[in-house]
Amino acid sequence: MSAVWEHRVDRLGLCHACRRGRPEDPKMSLPCSRRTVIAGLLASGVGLASGRMEPVRASSEPLRFGLTPVVPDDRITFLAGWADWIETQCGRPVEFVQRSRYREILDLLLQGRIDLAWICGYPYIRNRSHLGLIAVPRFQGRPLYQSYFIVGADSEIERLHDLEGRLFAWADPDSNSGYLYPRFRLSSDGRDPDRFFRRTFFAWGHPRCVEAVAEGLADGAAVDSYVWETLALSHPTLITQTRVLERSPEFGFPPIVAGPSLSERERQLIRRVLLSQVQDPAGRSLLNELNLDSFGLEAPDLYDDIARMAGRLTEGSGA
Amino acid sequence: MTLPLSSYRLRLPLSLSIAAVVTALSMAVALGLQTLANLREDQGRNAMTLGHAMAGVQIQALRNDDVWLAYSLLRGPDGGGDAVWILVDQAGRIFASNRPRRFRLDQPIESALPWLPQAQPQVFDEMPGRVSRVDHDEVRRVLRLPLYSDDSQVGELIALLSDAPYLPRFREILIGGILVTGTILLILLPIGWLWGRRMVGPLVRLAECMGRVGREDPRRMQCTLPDDDSEIGRLGRQFAAMLSALAQKETLEQQMIQAERLAAVGRVAAGVAHEVNNPLGGMLMAIDTYRRAHPVDAQTERLLNLLERALRQIQGSVSALLVEARADLRTLTRDDLEDVKTLAQPNRVKARVSLRWENACDTAIHLPAAPVRQLLLNLVLNAVQAAQGNGHVEVRITTEDHHLTMRIENSGRVIPPEQLLHLFEPYPASRPHTQGLGLWVCYQIVSQLGGTIRAEADGDVTRFLVSLPLTSESPV
Repeated sequence: MSAVWEHRVDRLGLCHACRRGRPEDPKMSLPCSRRTVIAGLLASGVGLASGRMEPVRASSEPLRFGLTPVVPDDRITFLAGWADWIETQCGRPVEFVQRSRYREILDLLLQGRIDLAWICGYPYIRNRSHLGLIAVPRFQGRPLYQSYFIVGADSEIERLHDLEGRLFAWADPDSNSGYLYPRFRLSSDGRDPDRFFRRTFFAWGHPRCVEAVAEGLADGAAVDSYVWETLALSHPTLITQTRVLERSPEFGFPPIVAGPSLSERERQLIRRVLLSQVQDPAGRSLLNELNLDSFGLEAPDLYDDIARMAGRLTEGSGA
Repeated sequence: MTLPLSSYRLRLPLSLSIAAVVTALSMAVALGLQTLANLREDQGRNAMTLGHAMAGVQIQALRNDDVWLAYSLLRGPDGGGDAVWILVDQAGRIFASNRPRRFRLDQPIESALPWLPQAQPQVFDEMPGRVSRVDHDEVRRVLRLPLYSDDSQVGELIALLSDAPYLPRFREILIGGILVTGTILLILLPIGWLWGRRMVGPLVRLAECMGRVGREDPRRMQCTLPDDDSEIGRLGRQFAAMLSALAQKETLEQQMIQAERLAAVGRVAAGVAHEVNNPLGGMLMAIDTYRRAHPVDAQTERLLNLLERALRQIQGSVSALLVEARADLRTLTRDDLEDVKTLAQPNRVKARVSLRWENACDTAIHLPAAPVRQLLLNLVLNAVQAAQGNGHVEVRITTEDHHLTMRIENSGRVIPPEQLLHLFEPYPASRPHTQGLGLWVCYQIVSQLGGTIRAEADGDVTRFLVSLPLTSESPV
């Protein structure tokens, strides 16, 4: 896993010191944060002049909202509409920041380069002490989702173990449903997730995993049930080329979390805005577009299952 | 009407159509092949450009083991287009392809493409891309682009190029060719048909006319023959010339036969007249002698007179058959000819015929006067008789080229062709009621003067043409 991680960072041209750092350890990334920021700025095209962000900002400063591919993040028009809606509700402009890797968003969040982000439960539980839980989306009435093992619609694979020796696509090394859970599932069966498949690769995002399976690049993948179900509505021809092989137990839905830079007052404000979104007609139609019911307030222990799974897997691989 | 296949009316449009079809199809095939060649060239060049453009990122993808990056690049916005792209890593295993179901990740390239020759180790600065021609599994050409990073090969980009994407265009060109051919045929077939008819029409008429030669009199054959600048027109003119030569020959033969017949008749008449005249002279002399030697009473005198008148009548009839044209020694003058006009005047008035008289002779003509006068008078009286009842007669007399030419025309009843053949014979069967020696005498005079006489019918006009050669200074 760490090998893959190193490649990923290297590709983005970030500093070499970070390559050795364990991604779940924020303390390790701090010493090189400055260089990371500069490189990140270069990569993202933002001018150097903006420098490090201010700890306290005027209310006219945009609220920076990081998005990961846990949600369909390719819908620019929808995102612009949502940003406008949040701005009218809380009086601050909203700027969505998108990265294809979960880790990049997490780094920006931990460094205070963005204020809040919609991330996966797995990176959340690893950085729980630094992040504040703002709201959890409710999908099909509950703040829960699953991981789906999917294969090609016309594939002869009937059980998970038929995937042995096949090609498998991971969503992201920081994804619960697309990486942590499938590895945990194999480990629970006593299989080594690094040797079970003939070859694995990262597709960087659940929709791409679906594409990889639909197009035959991979024999199987594990994807976020919310993404799969939402794609089934928006891209039915893509989804009909795949078939769900196995469904996982339910986990806490990827949450919206605040980074250390966001003050408690602002956290309360944005939480209030999001929780009330379902009551506003415009907000409700935006939620409909997201294929979500509402945003709800949940206790952090919603993600304990993921934490336990991560813990056990780390022990298992460490042993 | 059924036409045999050999008819030009079928062969011409068919030939045109076949030429059009062959031309259009050859054009379509040539265009198609040229387009195919151009498209192949473009395909090779595009693949090369694309390969070079992708190379940098693909090297990075190989180095970072980023399968999705490599795949999404190869897949492109349209699924990779026509070509099959394969990225092979350093170990010769497939790293990505835009046909992921067929070329699986991690599959050795030797097993995926067993026919692909081993990549030759290349010098770095050599042109890396090369399109070589193969013919395997619908793959026509292969582009191999070794990927180098820091002077060492890290992988290879392979593009399999096929002609499959061009087949629809090829088909379009062919269909276009067929449509054009069809349109051309729609225009050419009727044109060819009409042209064939136009070309063949004169030939058919010519053939029809030729078929009548030998069965019909060439002098009376009415044929519409082609007469233009084409070869068929030349043929028509040649045929018309041949026809007129035939007609001339026929006329000559007829004239010869007629002349021979008339000459024979003349000899017979002369012989008979001679044989009759001798005893006739003897009998008349006997009557005369008897009168002188014996006193004759009234009854005998009446008898002798009867005998003598009968014998004189025989003598007159016989001498009418014997024309002695050269007996007269007087030279013909203009007045002799004008006398004829005066002599015919009473008959003309009686028959209510208008006469147009044109006499271009004003000097003495070296011909015997009496026979020519008789000749002209006979012909004019004949004409006046034929034209009686508000007809008209026209006489023209000229001397030219040492010939006296007389042309006597009249309107009225036309002489039928079969009568023309026997016109100059004595006592013709067609005119038993007349004495019928007029034209016979004319003919005798003309032949004795060495000239020609000809009768012809031209519509409702009957024309006699007489041509008499002038004798030398002193008439015989």
